[in-house]
Amino acid sequence: MDSSTTSVAFLLTIVGFGTGIALLIRGFISYRAAGRIGDTATSRVATLAAGEVRVTGVIEPAELTLISLLQSEPCVYFRSAVGGDDGLGDALGDDGHVLEERAVGFAVRDASGTIRVFPHDARVEAPVRWEDRTGMLGDEPPGLRWRLGSAFGPNEGDREAAAAALLEIHDPVADPSLTPAGRLDAGSRRRTYRESRLEPGDQVTILGQALPFSDLAHPAEADVGGTADPFADGGDPEIAADLAAARAAGTLLTDPDAAWGNAAIPGFGIGRPVRPATIDPAATPLRPAGPEAAARAKRTFTIAPETLVLASIDDAPLLVTYGSPVAVVERERWRFVQGLLGGALAIGALAIAALLVTGSAR
Amino acid sequence: MSPGAYVASFAVGLVLVIVLFLVITAYNDVMALQRRIDKAWANIEVILKQRHDQLPALVAAVKGLMAFEQDVLTEVTRARAAYAPTDTIPHQAATSDQTSSAVRSLLVTVERYPDIKAAGNVADLQAEIERIEGMLADRRELYNDQVYRYDTRIAQVPTSWLAAVFRWRPRAYFRADPGDAERPDTSLTTDGPA
Repeated sequence: MDSSTTSVAFLLTIVGFGTGIALLIRGFISYRAAGRIGDTATSRVATLAAGEVRVTGVIEPAELTLISLLQSEPCVYFRSAVGGDDGLGDALGDDGHVLEERAVGFAVRDASGTIRVFPHDARVEAPVRWEDRTGMLGDEPPGLRWRLGSAFGPNEGDREAAAAALLEIHDPVADPSLTPAGRLDAGSRRRTYRESRLEPGDQVTILGQALPFSDLAHPAEADVGGTADPFADGGDPEIAADLAAARAAGTLLTDPDAAWGNAAIPGFGIGRPVRPATIDPAATPLRPAGPEAAARAKRTFTIAPETLVLASIDDAPLLVTYGSPVAVVERERWRFVQGLLGGALAIGALAIAALLVTGSAR
Repeated sequence: MSPGAYVASFAVGLVLVIVLFLVITAYNDVMALQRRIDKAWANIEVILKQRHDQLPALVAAVKGLMAFEQDVLTEVTRARAAYAPTDTIPHQAATSDQTSSAVRSLLVTVERYPDIKAAGNVADLQAEIERIEGMLADRRELYNDQVYRYDTRIAQVPTSWLAAVFRWRPRAYFRADPGDAERPDTSLTTDGPA
């Protein structure tokens, strides 16, 4: 065996060893997750008690849904990634370069009721909903529908808005610089896209803490145990100084409607406003939503302080996984088996490396 | 040391790490299971206490209006008085079953008297008792499910080996033993909330 062949073989053994160890570590993590999920009984939402719980049910949108980056699909979580010529997929599930990952609060419904979920700091396991790559000539895959507008959408279908969107004529040659694709490295010849999503209607299993909504450190951001409220006393000193200056100048508004303007109108900007907004006279106003929609919007944005919600806390992150508990446990255990095989791979790679070293020494 | 010896040492070390990981994980899992059972039981106790506190109010609300149904009221009061938080779990389950049965009889009886149902706060109390009964049923199911997972886990290899070392014993389900179903009632008391 010549020296170049030996070098390549040695390099491969190093890669094999690293992959094996990484698989083993992931297997350990999955084994722990399988234990946590499998050893916790499923609670019914209606009779949930505070503390660590496992809930399984169907995702329902709350105030907002997200619009995914690569396929513009409504969802509550997405992770959009792009890879180079070597593809995204490998044994470790590496996503390549993640373009964007977002999650919004949603609700989970089981047979007994509904509970709100705040995914901040959560570990989310979402299925890959779309994966494709550019063609031989660099043409983009047909399923690629870049999101061109806001990342947020209303929580429910608005027939009139959907019809208007369908009838609207779009420029077939959009300015590439306006799309995330335009920001990608133009030198990349072929790209692989992958998007994982959790969508309304998906069955999920959630393991985490049920706690009263009032116990969330910063409910507006669902930030449990994280950054303190910058507006509270002792919060951000710069904001405190601004507030003091505004109070002194008499410009601090205490009425949210006056302070926020149109933003205080439920539905404004994310659907149909529940009352007329103040807009440019030349603009075409949206017809306000009816009383039923207004009442629904009010209900949607109001969570009673004592209502139990699911959220992460400092030492117990929320685990949101796709599928039924049995399916999740099986998936995690299979990863553990893969981890054991990874350990064997590491040993084998090391043995081959030893043989190569011994051979070279001779 | 030769390269082959290094490989052998690594392989043995890796196997030991895996075995150690499995042992530690199994131990931690069983500890977590025990805590979950304790928590599930504590949540049942909360509901049992709530029911214990609510029943006198319901009995008091309907007592004067149900002159001909004193047996039902007596049965509820007796069952309530038998509640003893320090009893064993099967005994508490038997008591709880008797109380649930008596409460169901009372609620069925109340349904026969529209005047009583409409009087004062009877409807509210009835709804509250029904809510508590529903929660008790759900939390009982959750507790028993948790106990099932624990008992199964410590019976399976390799955790069963650890169970023998650490003397982990199966936990009791929240269900009445056959002997407890005929448990004698304690004396009739009509005191207020404990």
